[in-house]
Formats: sequence, structure tokens, C-alpha cells
Amino acid sequence: MARGESRRTGKLPASRDLSRRGLLAAGAALALVVGGSALAVFRTRGYAPPFGRVLVGLSPWQFFVVEHAARRIAAPDRPADASIPSADDTDVAGFVDAWVARTDRRRRRDLARFLAVLEHVAPLACGFPSRFTRLGPTQQDATLASLESSGSDLLRAGFEGLKSLVFMGYYRDPRTWALIGYTGPFVAPQSGPR
Amino acid sequence: MSGGIFNGRDAQLPERLDVDAVVVGAGAGGSVALRELARAGLNVVGLEEGAYLTSADFDQREDRMLALLYQDGGARTTHDMAIRVLQGRGVGGSTVHNTNLCKRTPDEILELWADKYAVAGARPADLHASFEAIERDLSVSEIEPAMRNANNEALRRGCDVLGWRGGPLKHNRVGCIQSGFCELGCAYNAKQNALKILLPQAVDAGARVYADVEVVRIVHDGRQVAGVRALARGASGNVRAQIDVRAPVVVLSASAVGSAALARRSGLPDPHGVLGRGLRLHPGAVVAGRFDGAIEGWRGIPQSFECTEHLSHEEGSDRRVWIVTAFAHPIGAAATLPGFGVRHMEAMRAYPNLAVLTAMVHDETSGEIDVDADGQPVVLYNMSERDRAQLAKGLGACARLLLAAGARSVTIPAVPPVSASNIAELDALDFSFVRPHAVPQTAVHPMGTMRMGEDPRRAVVRSTGEHHQVRGLFVADGSLFPTSIGAPPQISIYAFALHLSPHIIERARIG
Repeated sequence: MARGESRRTGKLPASRDLSRRGLLAAGAALALVVGGSALAVFRTRGYAPPFGRVLVGLSPWQFFVVEHAARRIAAPDRPADASIPSADDTDVAGFVDAWVARTDRRRRRDLARFLAVLEHVAPLACGFPSRFTRLGPTQQDATLASLESSGSDLLRAGFEGLKSLVFMGYYRDPRTWALIGYTGPFVAPQSGPR
Repeated sequence: MSGGIFNGRDAQLPERLDVDAVVVGAGAGGSVALRELARAGLNVVGLEEGAYLTSADFDQREDRMLALLYQDGGARTTHDMAIRVLQGRGVGGSTVHNTNLCKRTPDEILELWADKYAVAGARPADLHASFEAIERDLSVSEIEPAMRNANNEALRRGCDVLGWRGGPLKHNRVGCIQSGFCELGCAYNAKQNALKILLPQAVDAGARVYADVEVVRIVHDGRQVAGVRALARGASGNVRAQIDVRAPVVVLSASAVGSAALARRSGLPDPHGVLGRGLRLHPGAVVAGRFDGAIEGWRGIPQSFECTEHLSHEEGSDRRVWIVTAFAHPIGAAATLPGFGVRHMEAMRAYPNLAVLTAMVHDETSGEIDVDADGQPVVLYNMSERDRAQLAKGLGACARLLLAAGARSVTIPAVPPVSASNIAELDALDFSFVRPHAVPQTAVHPMGTMRMGEDPRRAVVRSTGEHHQVRGLFVADGSLFPTSIGAPPQISIYAFALHLSPHIIERARIG
């Protein structure tokens, strides 16, 4: 039984209430996701593992895509200002790698499929015949914007999920708090759960 | 019997327990059930899937606390991913991370349940003593104007200028230093909640609570409950041990999502197809107002003032919006603000000058809890057109309040964002863009998936909380509610658990 398939009905439960428009959008998105997954199977070679890092949740190609996406999603508003920490400085991709290792199978799979679409399908849909990670910053921004405003609810939700993870990785770092005038916690970090 | 709270991650655990009653979940409802059963001299254990954390563990960091205190690390959503569903996990449940709001179930709602949903013995007069008792236990009091932060003061000012109905809210906090980190757990132990007050009382009376122990199945024969099967998990989520608890009484207090999902995967009889249905969420969305002066909404007590101008609890009303403040710490704010990259960071620089309001819908939409192939909850919720219209109306009202309070501009975080700088611009807006997926929505009040009532064709449990078909199986959480209550459910859950506890005790004594 697939994820979301109801034990009671044996059907995809969400489909019961979808409007025709929603159904079409979901169908289109599903085709993209399935296509993306299939592409990813054949096109995950050629991604070098990140130097000096042992991945615990993401595969090398997924890490690479997250790293590129994070640089654009958390891009600084004043590029010349070296005091603004970058997504690399705050190790956003490393944070996402650790988050994925902790999360359940369903969310890992959803994220993997979305990253495959981002890397292989979304650029094509924007007219860029290349992987996302090989595009320049302007084209990467255009690709991400197309997902953010996609007619597919599924792709928009996927983008919002990735954006939330990136900002969780970015704004967890105290160096980013000064940028936005946030005074931060009152207490020092403690050890883990007892 | 010597009580205690035990950590399932590393404690020596029994393979089998024989008790008078087992309580699943140690949040608002579970803590009351545990206390009352233990005080009645019964041998009771509580099993909680999350961790046992105390004030010393709450370090006010979003990235760590979201992962520790919330179901699915704060990433739980409806199946279509349109609504983020924030629920507590761990000893104390959602009472650990909530903002301490204490509002009773409105009288109109209790009357509606009695008249239309055949709920017996739960009219306002019947519940009065339970509300009084639990509010006394938790030191509930009104937040004084002097303790109102700038975000809540903006809401009050907006109400005053517009002449809209509003007022201060009651909370369960004592010794609060107004740090503003309530939703990440209270490092100062000022929350008078299940974790601090009720569970210690239960333990003093002899209750045993096992944390990090997930109940995977209710054991029953279709007519009588016999206990539960549970798994203790280690720090990495690995299964350390299996525990079989034999008990003639099982109390489900694992939330409207968790209790219904457990019931579904346990194959309880459901001859009328009502189990898991009737889910209400109080879905909400936000509007941010940008002020010239500093608001610093992360400081001070959150949600101390409400606007009820657009809220009626009459069935079928077209005024079903509750408005309160909804300020978030940086991660939550960044995830909610529209866009990404350069423009997003520009918007984040205005963070100290933002006041944020949320419009929460007293919803009519009936969702459902199902389970997937892994037995995990699937939250099905397809917002009705009437509720969508209420959300749109509520967002417009939030924007109007903020402008009236002196905001230079207001923004609804849609894609693309929708802004207005004055009432004329606001009045010119077409709010048809407000729909699921187009505006980020959050829900923090799931309820109503194992509804109570005397009619088994419409209710899962009787008015006593006991299952219509399975003797000895009780529900004591927000699952009970036949409709949305249009108010934060914390006090209602505590009070209903207290109200129903004599029935649970009686059944446990009979055995």
C-alpha cells in the first residue's frame, strides 16, 4: 500500500475531495515528480561527495542540489557586505543533511523527489537545458521562482518545504540574528534530552 | 505503589505490566486522567511516545526545540500540504509549547452539543465545577495591561480605534519573566501546565509515566479492551524493547490526530464509519503590519489580547474568525514571509518593526484522520468554500486592525505578496486569492475525530467517554469534541478529562 493510501478506502484519500482543477494540477505535478525520480536514477552520477564531510541523510547529488538552492534562497541583500554570513558559512546544507537523517521515510522520499524535480525538470520547464546546479545565479533564481509560483499545489508546497528547511538552517546561526535585529535567547544552550 | 516518570530511552523496562488502567499520551487530557486514577488508589501507568524534558532542557533555540517538542519536528502538515499542523510531543504534550491561553468552552457550544449531538451531562452547569477546579489547579488569571507587549498593544489599539470588540485573555502562568519564548518551552518553569503541576501530582499519588514509549496497538476483542502493546525507543529511534500492558481500562489521550490514528490501526469496530471523521483544525493565516517604531514582537507575553468582533459561536454563523497576535521567532518568521533571496532578506531586516496578527477560523470543514501503510497519521482536510471565505474575511480584518493601530503598511504573505498602505487600498483588494496553498496556513488546535454522544451512528464514544462498542476503552482529549469550539482547547481538554474521570475510575474499579 502506497503512502497516503487509505486502509479504509483503498484509494488515495486526498483525491476524494480534489476539485477538477486540483486533480489536473496534482496529475501534472505527479508526472513531473515521477519523471524527476526516473531522471534522477540515471543522472545521479558525476556528483562528487562533499570534501571532508560524511553525509548522514542526503546522497551526494541531493547535498549538491541543496547547497546550490540554499545559496539562492538565503542570498544576501547586500552582496558586497562580507559581514553577512552566507548559506555556506552557516552550513545550511549540512543542517538539512542532519535533519533528513532524523526525519521519517515519508518526508525523506518527498524531499528526494522534489530535489530531483528541481535539479532535472524545473530548469527545462523554464527553458534552461541544463541541470539546476550548472545554471548561473540568475537562472537558478528564475527556476526557484517558477516553483514558488507554480500552478501545481504540490510543487509550490515542495518549494515552501525546502525554503523552510533552508531558513531553519540559516537563521539558527547567531551570526544571522544581528542582520535582522533579533536579540536571541536569554539562556545558554543545554545538553540534549535527559 | 511508588510513582515516577521514567525515561524509556535508557531505563530498565518491564516486558509486561498488569495494571488497573493505562493512559496513552501524557498531555493535557492524559495528565488529568493519570492524576485522578492514581488519587482513586488505582494502579495506573502512562505511556508517552515523546521525551521527558524539563525547564533545564528548554534552551530557547528554534532549531532544537522544534525538533524536540513538536510532532514530526514541526513538519507535520495536512496530506495536501496546504496546512502546517503544529502539535506537541513529549511529557506534557502541547501544554509545554503552547502560549498558555485559557478560555473555557463557550456555553453556546456546550448547548449545541447537548441539543444536536446528543451529548449528555455536559451542559454549562454540568462542566462548571470542572472548569473551576482545573483553573484553580493551574492558577489561571488574566494578563494585566502592564504585561502586554507591543504586538498585543497594537491589537488593542486597533480594536479601540475601530470600536471592535476585544479584551484581555487569561493564561496559566506564575513567575513569568516575559521572555517571549513560550512556544519553545519555558526555561523558567513559569507555565502552570501538565508537566509542572498535574503530572507531579499524579506521580505523588502513585502514577508511573514512561517516556519514549510509543503505543502501537490497542489490544481488544471487539467488545472489551485488554490493554496495549508498546515499543520503547532509544535515542536514535531504534526499538529497545516491547512492552505489553494488560489493563481492563485504556484511556486514549494522544490528541485528535494520535488517538484516532492509533484507533484506526488497531482495527477497532466502526460499524457506522465515524472513527477518525469530524476533524476540525482552527486553520489560520497571518497578516504582518510594518510600523515606524520598534515592536520587537518576540519579546514579552504572546497572545494576551483578543479581538472577537468577527466571532460568534452560533451554529452556521458567518462570523467565525478569532483574531490574536502570532509573532514568531526568526525561523518561523522567515518561513512565513513570502519570497526568497535578496528581497526576502530585505523584508527580514524589518523584523523588529513588524506586528503580526492571525485570523483563526472556527471551522465547519470536516476533515479526517487516516493512517498510511506505515501506520502513520494522514491528516485529510479540504477547506470548504464557507471556511475559505471566513479566512479571507479574517485576513482583511487583521489588516484593518493593523492599519488602525498605526501600521505604515500591511502584507499578507501570499505568492506574490499582497500589500496595502491605507484603508482605501485595502478596500480595493480582491480577497479571492485567499485559498489553500496560495496563503500559508497553520493549525494548532486539532479536535473532533472520536466524537462523544449518545448516538453510536454519529459518535465514537458515549457521553462518559467510553467507546460505544469496546468496553473499557475511553477517550480523554480533544478528539471528543463534536464540533470546533472556536477557542483554544487547552482548558476544555483538561476540564473534560476531569469531568469524565469518575466514569473511568468506576470502570477501572469494576475491572
